[in-house]
Amino acid sequence: MSLERRGRLRKRYWLWSGLLSGVALIILILAGNPFQQGGHLPLLLGLGLVALITELLLIRYPLQHGYTDRGIWMSVSTPIVAAVLLLYGWQMGVWLDALVTFGAGLLTARLKQSHLRWVWLNTAQSILCAAGASAWQIGAGYTAVFDTLPSFLKAALALLGVLGLYSLINIFLVSVTVALAEGVRLHWVLRESLRGLPRETLPMFPLSLLLMTVLHLYGFAGSLAVLAPYLALRQAFILYTRQHELYHQTIRSLGFLIQRAHPYTGGHLQRVAQWGRKVAERLGLPPERCELVYEAALLHDLGKTVLDERILNKPGRLTPREWEQVQRHPQLGAEILSDVPFLNPIVPWIAYHHERPDGKGYPYGLQGDQIPLEARIIAVVDAFDAMIGGEAPSQQRQYRRALSIEEALQELRRGAGTQFDPQVVTVFEQVVQEWLPLSRIAEGEARTRMQSACH
Amino acid sequence: MDSLYISIGIVLLSVGALGYYAFAFLPAQLHRWRCQSLRAFAKAIELRTQGRYGDPALIAQLAIAVGARLGIEGEARKQLELAVYLRDIGMVGIPYALLNRSTPLAPMEQLTLARHVEIGAAIVEQLPGLNMVAPLVRLHHIEYAQQPEAPLGAHLLAALSDLIELAQHAGYEAALHALQAGAGTRYHPQVVQAIAAELQARPLGSWAPLRRSAALWLGLVMYPLKDLTRLFIELARH
Repeated sequence: MSLERRGRLRKRYWLWSGLLSGVALIILILAGNPFQQGGHLPLLLGLGLVALITELLLIRYPLQHGYTDRGIWMSVSTPIVAAVLLLYGWQMGVWLDALVTFGAGLLTARLKQSHLRWVWLNTAQSILCAAGASAWQIGAGYTAVFDTLPSFLKAALALLGVLGLYSLINIFLVSVTVALAEGVRLHWVLRESLRGLPRETLPMFPLSLLLMTVLHLYGFAGSLAVLAPYLALRQAFILYTRQHELYHQTIRSLGFLIQRAHPYTGGHLQRVAQWGRKVAERLGLPPERCELVYEAALLHDLGKTVLDERILNKPGRLTPREWEQVQRHPQLGAEILSDVPFLNPIVPWIAYHHERPDGKGYPYGLQGDQIPLEARIIAVVDAFDAMIGGEAPSQQRQYRRALSIEEALQELRRGAGTQFDPQVVTVFEQVVQEWLPLSRIAEGEARTRMQSACH
Repeated sequence: MDSLYISIGIVLLSVGALGYYAFAFLPAQLHRWRCQSLRAFAKAIELRTQGRYGDPALIAQLAIAVGARLGIEGEARKQLELAVYLRDIGMVGIPYALLNRSTPLAPMEQLTLARHVEIGAAIVEQLPGLNMVAPLVRLHHIEYAQQPEAPLGAHLLAALSDLIELAQHAGYEAALHALQAGAGTRYHPQVVQAIAAELQARPLGSWAPLRRSAALWLGLVMYPLKDLTRLFIELARH
């Protein structure tokens, strides 16, 4: 990103946070003094305390693909706010949300290493969400009295609407903030978060409904009973998330372990995977696609586990029959992964990672655009790392001397259009240029450490 | 007041549905995913050994069915299923030439082949969510006479592995006879009995099309529910 663009984004970001703060303050003033709201003050404080506790016990949701180490954090005080909005009016809901978000933000600021500015921005966002969500209730002209079944169903429907609207506004505001603060494209962030919307909102609904009913029937004391199912739910989701992460770890470690049976250095796979993801990001593929490129690059030579290791380890040139065997490995890798439904998208990438744009690749001899972009990325990155000698220890393939990085880049440029995809090569060169200084530093450090150890 | 009970009923029902989703559906789905991903690695071994150790999905089904007769349920059942897919993972460390020899192996070579048990267990021990399966992988070729106190699941795996391997070239009748001949010395007698009973109840030919049926049913039930909730959201929006 150029400095100019960064500066422009920075200005926009400040404008955006100023706008958020202004609107939020106006809403708060309109909502009036919370300490003058009739007999609801103890309720507000009591519920605020409950909501604060739940807010501090955040639920971490898993995202669809990849993102194993990130995941999005969801606040669980939203069901409480939604129920209060419907039962006691929008002013109360807005104040509750503001107090809880601000309080929780202050208490966890140290833990999350977030700036006070972020805490306020979060609070402003939640005020806007609560006020916006109550527009639903005001628009429907609904008051929370449910003595009959139809009115109860109507209340439930209104609650769902409020929850949905709250989440939608929240996603939009957070996405804009994230896009401006980190310089990511807005529609990526939006698409990514919108996909998770039903999964985040729906589990909140029964909880919120339960809370609303209990509050209506038994008042504040009843609301404490809701904490029990909430804690159970939280436990279940945490468990699920952990297992989800474990599963991804499993795939990766099995990939590494199987490859270790053959003369690969673990570094080769990791570098290919990381570079592959970088190139995919630069080429503008959506984030979840980039994650998949990472996993595909880790597993791209899986088919070699099936082959005779005497061929793979052979130092000299291969005979035509042996070469024929080696050429089977993309197909074998695809066959191995074809049984795993959620890895379906990467199967063709692995099958075609030795195809060439000019049609001289193996095993199928596809041409140009017939080869998926992701397979072309893996082909370039894999070839580069093999050329600089990262693929196998130096005693392997003695007939082929390891090239320097500049020579290898030149080789890529020479093959662009015939052996490699020219667009991918251009982007990959940028990636390598950025990685180069870092690797030099690491290399230099290692050398000095070795020298000091020798002396 | 009637409607009040109805509303409480509805709320309890929705909480129940949530509980089912979180405690029953999600774990089941996760186990299914895990088995599917492990099937890929079993497939790699299958290709490397040219299929002489049998189709892992079939063995998994057989293991679960026979395990049910032996009282292997719940968590132990899940572990047994995972172990079926992981048991031969150590074959990646055995030379290709040895695995694909058509002539009989010399005693020393057989010892080398037997090392796949240890290699496999060592690999599985490294995997964060799967290390509890390592004992089963390590014991999946034990002899009953030597370690009668080993878990029943391990004895089951040992017997099934031999059954499928023998059946590849001698047929199931002969393989079952070989198992019955070794009951009490090489194989756990109870296990052999259960396998024989299971094969009598359902001959092996009828197994193949039954893959992942339980998971499929669960999915069939859950998918309409998912669409229904989406419909509700749409209704609420308009």
